[in-house]
Amino acid sequence: MSLGKFLALDKLSNFFNVIRQNGGIRASLYKLYRQDDVKDGVLVGEDKYGNKYYENPRFFYSRNRWVEYSDKYYLNYDGSQVPAEWFGWLHYKTDLPPHQDPSRPHYKWMADHTENLSGTTAQYVPYSTTRPKVEAWEPKRKDSV
Amino acid sequence: MLRQPLSRALALTSPVRAAPLTARRFADQVQAQPEKVEVFIDDQPVHVVPGTTVLQAAAQVGVEIPRFCYHERLAVAGNCRMCLVEVEKSPKPVAACAMPVMKGMRVKTNSDLTRKAREGVMEFLLVNHPLDCPICDQGGECDLQDQSMAFGSDKSRFTDIHFSGKRAVEDKDVGPLIKTIMTRCIHCTRCIRFASEVAGVDDFGTTGRGTDMQVGTYVEKMFLSELSGNIIDLCPVGALTSKPYSFAARPWETRRVDSVDVLDPLGSNIVVATRTNEVLRILPRTNEEINEEWLADKSRFACDGLKRQRLVSPMLVDSRGNLTPVDWEDAIVATARALRDCPPDKLLAVAGDLADAESLVALKDLVNKLGSENTCTEQYFPLEGAGIDLRSSYLLNTKIANVEDADFVLLIGTNVRFEAPLLNARIRKSFIHKETDVALVGPKVDLTYEYMHAGDSASIVKDLATGTSSHAVARRLEQAKRPVVILGAEQLRGPEGAALLAYTQQLALKLHDKLADKSWKVLNVLQRTASQVAALDIGYKPGVGGALQGGPRVVYLLGADSGVVTREALPKDAFVIYQGHHGDVGAQIADVVLPGAAYTEKRATYVNAEGRAQQTLLAVSPPGKARDDWKIIRALSEVVGERLPYDNLDEVRARMSEISPALVAYGDVQDNNYFAQATALAQSLQKPLSGKLDVKLKQLEDYFMTDPISRASPTMAKCIQAVIKQKQSPY
Repeated sequence: MSLGKFLALDKLSNFFNVIRQNGGIRASLYKLYRQDDVKDGVLVGEDKYGNKYYENPRFFYSRNRWVEYSDKYYLNYDGSQVPAEWFGWLHYKTDLPPHQDPSRPHYKWMADHTENLSGTTAQYVPYSTTRPKVEAWEPKRKDSV
Repeated sequence: MLRQPLSRALALTSPVRAAPLTARRFADQVQAQPEKVEVFIDDQPVHVVPGTTVLQAAAQVGVEIPRFCYHERLAVAGNCRMCLVEVEKSPKPVAACAMPVMKGMRVKTNSDLTRKAREGVMEFLLVNHPLDCPICDQGGECDLQDQSMAFGSDKSRFTDIHFSGKRAVEDKDVGPLIKTIMTRCIHCTRCIRFASEVAGVDDFGTTGRGTDMQVGTYVEKMFLSELSGNIIDLCPVGALTSKPYSFAARPWETRRVDSVDVLDPLGSNIVVATRTNEVLRILPRTNEEINEEWLADKSRFACDGLKRQRLVSPMLVDSRGNLTPVDWEDAIVATARALRDCPPDKLLAVAGDLADAESLVALKDLVNKLGSENTCTEQYFPLEGAGIDLRSSYLLNTKIANVEDADFVLLIGTNVRFEAPLLNARIRKSFIHKETDVALVGPKVDLTYEYMHAGDSASIVKDLATGTSSHAVARRLEQAKRPVVILGAEQLRGPEGAALLAYTQQLALKLHDKLADKSWKVLNVLQRTASQVAALDIGYKPGVGGALQGGPRVVYLLGADSGVVTREALPKDAFVIYQGHHGDVGAQIADVVLPGAAYTEKRATYVNAEGRAQQTLLAVSPPGKARDDWKIIRALSEVVGERLPYDNLDEVRARMSEISPALVAYGDVQDNNYFAQATALAQSLQKPLSGKLDVKLKQLEDYFMTDPISRASPTMAKCIQAVIKQKQSPY
């Protein structure tokens, strides 16, 4: 064990490394505010929605792959914004990210990814199949001009 | 079939229309009270009048004997045998409902013999009764269910080893209101007795005997009566159930709220059964002074009209002239602006048929505060003479229950059968059981009993009043000790209305002067609607004719749907405000629609034709944005700037009691007087009469749809279709 490691100086260097990688003190604080975490890692890829995928084997398994959501989401990010092709890599189903995996099929009919819209105005609402208990009166339309 | 004496069966007249002579007695005869006899029910002594049955004597000491066929208001049949009791020194058990008491009789209602007899009867009934309680609508309120639990055996001896099945009977079709599952029938004949005694329809009867006995209408036929729904209540099992309510709910799931009916002027007492904020059915509530325990079909079955054609949101007319839903605020502001900008003499308020006293008071107060005196009702009543100043001129003074004691009833221009079905049932009851005769001036209609028809011209009333008539009716009126004159308010509409009322008052006074019993009231005016009496009490002017002449600029319709206010009758730029609960005639011509509550959705006061104030209670909440009627007017007053001084129901009712204490004396009815004074004031109005009396409701099909609620009801529409179809059938 080196002296530096014994004195935990590598932690210090990691700290400065993280700050540098994340673009300085201001940017790091912003990231800390936005996603409660700042990490250093290798940028593995970026999907078409602007989400960035990172990897750092220094962290233990299950923490060593992560996503930083696109800035456009600001604080409104959630897991359903990860598209299906990146989902597999992020959850260790495969080690090949989509752009490096030639065996993945691409068909014309494959739909674009949609995030979960529950709780928004675009959410799916099933129509009611029961009749209303009270039928309202519909006034007769007069001949409109 | 009713057991009737041979003499009656041989009589040439229709058997139902004439009462058995033995049953008839003079109404005014005071029978000497015979000495009471002592009997012992389960060793408890009780003194009863001779002729009382064992069952009634037992009821007096609080011992209830089980029964199926016996009913207090129907003739005794004695065919179900469930009321068998042991009587000491009698070799066999006797039927308590038909056995008159005898001196010193010792009845054992809970002895081994009695219990065994009941158990046996129960076993025989159940042998041929299907085990379909889980799919039976009577389940939970079934006498057979209850009594088999209480008095039946705990085990069954019924083994269908030959797989022949139980007795099965084909169902009958008796119209769109009553569903029949005749296999369940236990032949108590209550429905037959009700139909022939109370409803006056002799179509029901039995065919066959023993196992082959069937209750039915011989040839398939609709039950053409306005009281048909009552046989559903009478049926102790599930043989007759309500068609509109079929498979809707179980009795223990429903919440029952006592209320008052408003679809006819009598104000029958009802129970509204609701579940999940929906009116499921309406049942009668016993009130001996009004409806006994019956209810007319319109009141009972029109409740599905409360769920259709409803006004659920305030509406305002848009630039294209279409009514569009808006918020309360917009509607109230638009209404308030119209009211404020209107010159006082051009403002008119019209109260409709179903308006309650609270909203009538609030509306009149508001209109008066705005400086106008134009508050009218849709129904007309002559204002000449005493007009509406004396309450006795526009009420049913005899009172509904007392009509039973009358010995002669003169109906003038009214078809009581459809205008007030339960009043007609009372008249029929006294016709059947007492020596009451009935005469009618007006169009010949079927009243379900025989009556003397005096003709349909109005001058007959004049002749009767002035004593120039030589008709048999005049002679009978002279002799009558307790005469009743009932004038239909509908006849007062025309130009001769005042004279007709004046002559009727004179006739009634003339009859009254001759009476030995001065407390007996003769004059009755039968109003057509539930709101009219309260409106007249509050001071609304009857009839809109005069007010429309003035060319009103703003018209406030409080549930006015009978079509007397039309767009054609109003100036072109008139602003029409409609407040009510159904989209009907009134809402169609409105510029603003304010949705109110129907009678099941508010706590409100209604005054019936006798002048008896009663209140409805809130059974369900008003649909959508609809609100209590008086609250709408109160809110409106705030925006208009003429704040009404009441904030809650108690304060409104305090205001009502200032106007007339009778409006808040719930359940009470005052005796009316000043007949002579009213007649004296009307003396100058006695002009020659030439018109003919005509009534709107002549046939059964006219009866079912008379107000916005029943017009919206699909059941009532089906009834009309069925009646018309039945009338075309050769049977």
